[in-house]
Amino acid sequence: MLKLIKKEFALTLHPTNVVFLFFAAFVFIPNYPYEVMFFFSSLAAYFACLAGRENKDLFFTCSLPVEKKAVAVARVIFFVILQIAQVLLCALLSVVKTAIIDLPNAAGTEANAVLCANGLVMLGIFNAIFFPAYFANPEKIGKPFVFGAAAEFAVVALAITACFAVPFARDVLDTPDPAHFGAKLVYLAVAACLYAALTAFAALRSAGNFEKTDL
Amino acid sequence: MKALQVENLYKKYPTFTLDGVNFSVEEGRIVGLVGRNGAGKSTALKAVMRLISAKGKIEVFGRDFAKCEAAVKSEIGFVSGGFDFYPYQKIGKIVRTVTSFYPTWDERVCRENLVRFNIDENKKPSELSAGMKVKLSVALALSHGAKLFVMDEPTSGLDPLSREEFNDVVLSLSRETGASVLFSTHITADLMRVADDVVYISDGRILKDAPLKKLLGEYEKVTFSSETAAKNCGAEVVGLKTVRDGVEGLVACGAEISGALRRENADLDAVMIHLETQKARGTSC
Repeated sequence: MLKLIKKEFALTLHPTNVVFLFFAAFVFIPNYPYEVMFFFSSLAAYFACLAGRENKDLFFTCSLPVEKKAVAVARVIFFVILQIAQVLLCALLSVVKTAIIDLPNAAGTEANAVLCANGLVMLGIFNAIFFPAYFANPEKIGKPFVFGAAAEFAVVALAITACFAVPFARDVLDTPDPAHFGAKLVYLAVAACLYAALTAFAALRSAGNFEKTDL
Repeated sequence: MKALQVENLYKKYPTFTLDGVNFSVEEGRIVGLVGRNGAGKSTALKAVMRLISAKGKIEVFGRDFAKCEAAVKSEIGFVSGGFDFYPYQKIGKIVRTVTSFYPTWDERVCRENLVRFNIDENKKPSELSAGMKVKLSVALALSHGAKLFVMDEPTSGLDPLSREEFNDVVLSLSRETGASVLFSTHITADLMRVADDVVYISDGRILKDAPLKKLLGEYEKVTFSSETAAKNCGAEVVGLKTVRDGVEGLVACGAEISGALRRENADLDAVMIHLETQKARGTSC
């Protein structure tokens, strides 16, 4: 598996996978729906899969001495590594932003632990929708991406709406750290569990679908 | 021992079916999978390599491919035509990545093959000609001590000299290292030169599976002045087709016939053409 993940970094990694990681710096933009940064991470996954299709990447990988299902799992893990890196970068830059810019975000979630939690939920949902459909038919990448991205934007809309309409979200979750940090950590832990469950589902379902796919 | 045993391979597409394909490759033998374009050669080889999902049983050196996929693949040198992957990555980077997957990878052999085929590692696959891409595929397949080689149309796109060079490589694999080779082609001259056995596939079904010499010994090519003369020759004539001075077909070797203008040994081209003609007409005379 480690060899496959290394191969993903060597031959599948698309420049946008790295560039879009740094969109975590969106937290420095005043009054902006910060969750959008995670959409770009998904967009980069789409670009990498699109480039992979043109490079006949899956065919090549499956001709190596590996199990076909392991190819699908390795690819999901590869994107999980990039997603976690973005969430960690977001957390780090949120701390920096809160320390140096003392301005509330009027456009949605503050740059805080809840933002990272929302990101994990978005990415988990995207993984669960995009990867199983992609591995069922790697030639047709557009439709899975559209559905995955639509679900992500639904989460963004809900998060922003909650910041204004739901008292708990407005008064507890949408506050600069470290205020109400315990509640935020619980929310983050729940989101992390949801992300793990959705991504595990994505990996297993992708492996199953890919076994039946013709290359 | 059988290097490869394929049983009841079945794959259905909307317009094509690979229908109950059975064949085997004995250890140390070179088997040519031959058939016209669209006959199912590539589909069969992809199914053998589990690149498409097909029903049937595949064993490599007695091991079930489905159960030991990774281990079995490491014993196979697979060439899927030209190297059409990652056109804009440097060949050296691709080679280094492939290397890590094979515990038996031989760096020295790899370098020798790259030099032998004149492949510059600093180039990208997009900068290679069709023939050079095939050579790159072959160079990679030869570098990890595979015991079985599965090659899909490896000589397509090669110039005559390179084809000759490739055929030498295939022969030396079998004769010197004892490796088994299964390769698909529609270039019968290559098979005539290197193949021990021939598996002839047509419309997704195996039409003939025999040692090359036996297959060629089964038929004679006979020319008659007319279709009527062929029908009245006293033996079954297979795949009658019009030629410059009459009609031509195959008869069983040594068959007593009358009225023939000419009879000669059948080559693989003739066997293929007449069997296909016979199939298209659905009858013999």
